[in-house]
Order: sequence, then structure tokens, then C-alpha cells
Amino acid sequence: MNKPYRAFQAFILLAIASFLEVKLITGKLDLYINIRFAPLTVFAIIALVLMSYSLMRYSKEESEHEEDEDHHHEHSHSISVYGLLFLLIPVLIGILIPARPLDAAAATTRGVNVSAPIISSAAQAQSFESVADQRNVLDWIRIFNSGTDVTPYIGQTADVIGFVFRDGRLTENQFLVSRFVITCCAADGLAIGMVVNWDQTSTLSENTWVRVTGAVEPYQLEGQPVPLIQADSVEVVQEPEQPYLFP
Amino acid sequence: METQIPSRTLSRPLIWTILLGVLGAVLFSIVPLAVSLSLWQRLTGFATVFLGIFIEAIPFLLMGTVASGLVEVFISQEWITRFSPRRALPAALLGSLLGLVFPVCECGVIPLTRRLFQKRLPVSTGIAFLLAAPVLNPIVIFSTAAAFGWGRMLAWRLGLTLLIAVTIGVVFSTEKDISNIVRLPPSEIELPVLGTHPEHESIGAKIGRALVVSTGEFFEMGRYLILGASLAAILQTFVPQTSLLAIGSGPLLSVIAMLTLAVVLSICSTVDAFVALGFVGTFSFGSILSFLVFGPMVDIKSMLMYLQVFRRRPVFYLVLLPLLMSLLAGIAFNYLRP
Repeated sequence: MNKPYRAFQAFILLAIASFLEVKLITGKLDLYINIRFAPLTVFAIIALVLMSYSLMRYSKEESEHEEDEDHHHEHSHSISVYGLLFLLIPVLIGILIPARPLDAAAATTRGVNVSAPIISSAAQAQSFESVADQRNVLDWIRIFNSGTDVTPYIGQTADVIGFVFRDGRLTENQFLVSRFVITCCAADGLAIGMVVNWDQTSTLSENTWVRVTGAVEPYQLEGQPVPLIQADSVEVVQEPEQPYLFP
Repeated sequence: METQIPSRTLSRPLIWTILLGVLGAVLFSIVPLAVSLSLWQRLTGFATVFLGIFIEAIPFLLMGTVASGLVEVFISQEWITRFSPRRALPAALLGSLLGLVFPVCECGVIPLTRRLFQKRLPVSTGIAFLLAAPVLNPIVIFSTAAAFGWGRMLAWRLGLTLLIAVTIGVVFSTEKDISNIVRLPPSEIELPVLGTHPEHESIGAKIGRALVVSTGEFFEMGRYLILGASLAAILQTFVPQTSLLAIGSGPLLSVIAMLTLAVVLSICSTVDAFVALGFVGTFSFGSILSFLVFGPMVDIKSMLMYLQVFRRRPVFYLVLLPLLMSLLAGIAFNYLRP
């Protein structure tokens, strides 16, 4: 009875390994974790494959051994076959529920921040040095959060992409152009957003991806200095290939 | 007869699952479209967070179980007995620094600790190792330094973790009988050496056997990782965090908020420093410190794994004592250094 049990274990290990492999190859892994940690996933795939290989080899030797000695070991497994199936749950969820990035619905339970985490001085410096129309939502928020004099940045033209999020703290003509910032995995996803002033805000539906261009102004929200975009244009765009920002 | 037993244990839960699945599908089809749409959106959000935790944690769980398998095969009980200090304090100190040699996080440390207990590691050493190793190890020291720099936060994180782990290790030393702490191990945990000359097992065969041992443990612990990750993901999908973060101020409530967050987020200790960094503007030094100290010791998935490996009473203390000590430390910091 050991042999089918071990074969089933090996099958599940390989299923998990190929699930990770598929996510890695199709580039979907970065919907779940910061791509910085992809090498760890590669390690996991290798370990899982080696484990299933060892299982099959051991189980082959085991059955030969049992035949040789002509008696059967009373071998009870701590986990029933049903317990093993538990490990297939992530694979099933991954197959049955389409992979979607965190969106406005998730932002509703998590809240959207108008201030951003300061990860490192290097990243901080990059936000300052980049050209105005190259900056993303995170860069702009970092600049206005840093406590330095923002006068040189006022009046520059921002050109950012994000999803529409309506926030109770804003007026009727305003919305947040938001992104999720992922530090290590989707569990720590932090939504951040820039306030946009646009007279046709009411025509936008929540969670639509938009590209906003316009002059940047200083603004106060909950006593924090935040950047505001006086939108010249707001155009609906496709969800970007990489919906998250990685600090 | 052998084949009947597993098939019988299999059938009943399987039937229940199918019944529940059918019931769920029926319910899903009769609710109004608008509700099911938002439910669907929530469901994809849940899947993303769940798989996020799972994919991020699985390499670390594998490292832990592989380390445990290697200990089983390569380290003998006599060796451990010879090098273990007998007195409680040195034993606990040794345990809390063992993580510098075995770099594991909170998922991996649990099977490894059980393995070491089975090789007759003293109780206080094992408990101190369990609590301290997820922080006092090279990977976490570097990731904390990368996030906060080589400064106050790192020093206090390491110092407080050491203090709490050694204290609780010494508290546990009053219990000499390991069987009162650890549940009876499953038979899977040891594997017979095969072949005609067991004493001449080749190194390749040894590693192979270690991997088979670690497979058993991976399946055992993986269930709790999955259960914990789904609980954490459900909480994150349906309970607004905004209310939790709203109480961010206040010397007591901020610590409680961050401790709750540490349990709910269930992120790995190797990366939690980067996450904590996101709260620097909103939360006080003390509350972030308590997050960094308590999170690696206790969170949803590690609590479930504790319950699998340890008896109920020790688990109660393993959760309560670190909770109280990190709470106290956080509050003290908030009052003394605002």
C-alpha cells in the first residue's frame, strides 16, 4: 500500500511545482509576489522536483525490499489520502479562479493611502531625479512626502496611469488615480493614490484604468501635503501589463 | 484489509466536500447578479492574496522541512545530548542563537524544532530556538538592516527577541518531560534505511532519504500553511483594514493595532521588515517594533502549525507570553521615547 501512496505524494509535489513553473513562465507570478523574490520560487520548484524523484526511488526500493524479506511492514501514514489532497487546494484555486491583480474592490477594504512608504534613500533619490513625465504615482507621492521644499515640482506636468478610486475624503470633482504597491506579496499590497481634479469625474466608473495628464499642485488631505493633478486630459486605457508598483 | 482502511477514511469527507460544492454552486446561481458580481470580485481578491501568501511562504517551508530531513539523517541523538548545556539559562541562550546556524523562518522552524526535540534536545533550548530563530538568523538580520539601516530598530528587534525567547525558554525548563510538550510524532517522521547493508548507506541514498522524510513533513505542515493563508486572506478581503489603521495613534491602541496586523497579515519574517517600513509614517516606533518582534513568533499560520506539533497547554503559553511581552515592550517604548 506504500507504493500508490508515495506515487500520489509525488504527483501532488509535481503538480505544485508545475503550477509555480507555469506562473513563472507566463509572467503571472508578479500578480502575487514582488518579482524580486522569484529566485526563491525557482528554488521551490527544484526542491519539489527533487523530492518527488527521491520519493519514487525510495518507494521502488521499498517494494523490492518488502518482496525480498517476504513480510509486510505495518506502515500507517500520519496523513490520510484525503489529507494529502489539501495541498492541491492552491493549485485548484489558481486554475479555477482567474488571476486578477488587486483592484478597487480590494482598495475599499484596505483604504487608499495618500502617503507612501519610504523604502530606501536610493529609491527616494530616483523619484526626485526622474523626469517629470516619467514619474509614476509612487514617485510623486514620495516627493511630496519627503518634507523637502516642493516648489520646484509645482507646475510640472504629470503623466501617470492608475485605476479610478472614489474616496469619501474628496469632493465631487475629484478622484484618486491609484496603484497597488507590493513590497513582498499581495498580502501586504498597499494602495496609494494621487488626487485628480477633473470636471467630468462623474463620467468615470470605479476601477477603470486611466491615464491622467496635467499640472501638479500642492494639496492638503488629512493634514498631509499631497500632490494634486489639475487634469488636462483623462483617457481610459488598458490595464497595464504590470498593474503593481514595486518600491 | 490494508486497502480498506484508507478508502473508508477517504469516502466520507469526500462526499461532504462534493455536497458542499454543489450547495455552494446552487446558492451562487440564485443570488442576484449584482451581489454575485461583487462577490466574484471579492473572490478574485481572496485568491490573489491567498496565492500571494502561499507562493511567498512555500520556499521557506521547504527550506525548513529539508533542513529537518537532513537533521534526521545526518545528526545523531548522542551528538546533541553531548553538546547540550544542562542548566536552563545557557540552554535557552544556546537555543535562541541556533538560528544563526539554521537560517529558517517561522514556517520552517516548527518542523525543525520538533525534529530536534525528537533527538532529545533540552526543552528550554528548543523553545528558545522556536521563538528566536525566525528573527535571529542571517537572512532576517540583513533584510531588517536593508529596510531600516544598521540602527536602533535592528538592535531593539534583535535584543527584544533574544530577551523574550530566553525568558520563555527558561520558563519552559520547569517541564522536563518532552512528551508533555510535543504531540506524539507520526510514524512517518522516521524512515528505515533500505538495502542489504543499512550501515553502509551511500551519501546519495542518505540525501534521498532525507528528502523523503521532508516530504512527509511538507504535507503535514503544508495543510496548516494553506489553512492559515486562507484565513488571513479571508480576513483581509472582508474586514476593512482602514478601521484598524484609523486607531494608529495612541500609545496603547497603536501597539494593539500593529500586533493584530502582525497576526492577520501572516507574512514571513524574512520580509516583514519591508512591510513594517510602510507603517513608519503612520505608527510609532514602539508599535512597529512590537510588530517586528511578535509577528515572527505568532501569526495565523504558525498558530495552526503549533497546534499540530505541540499540546494545547504549551501552545497557550507560546502565544500568550510573547503577546504580553511584546505588548509591554511596545507600550514602554511609546511612553519613554515618544
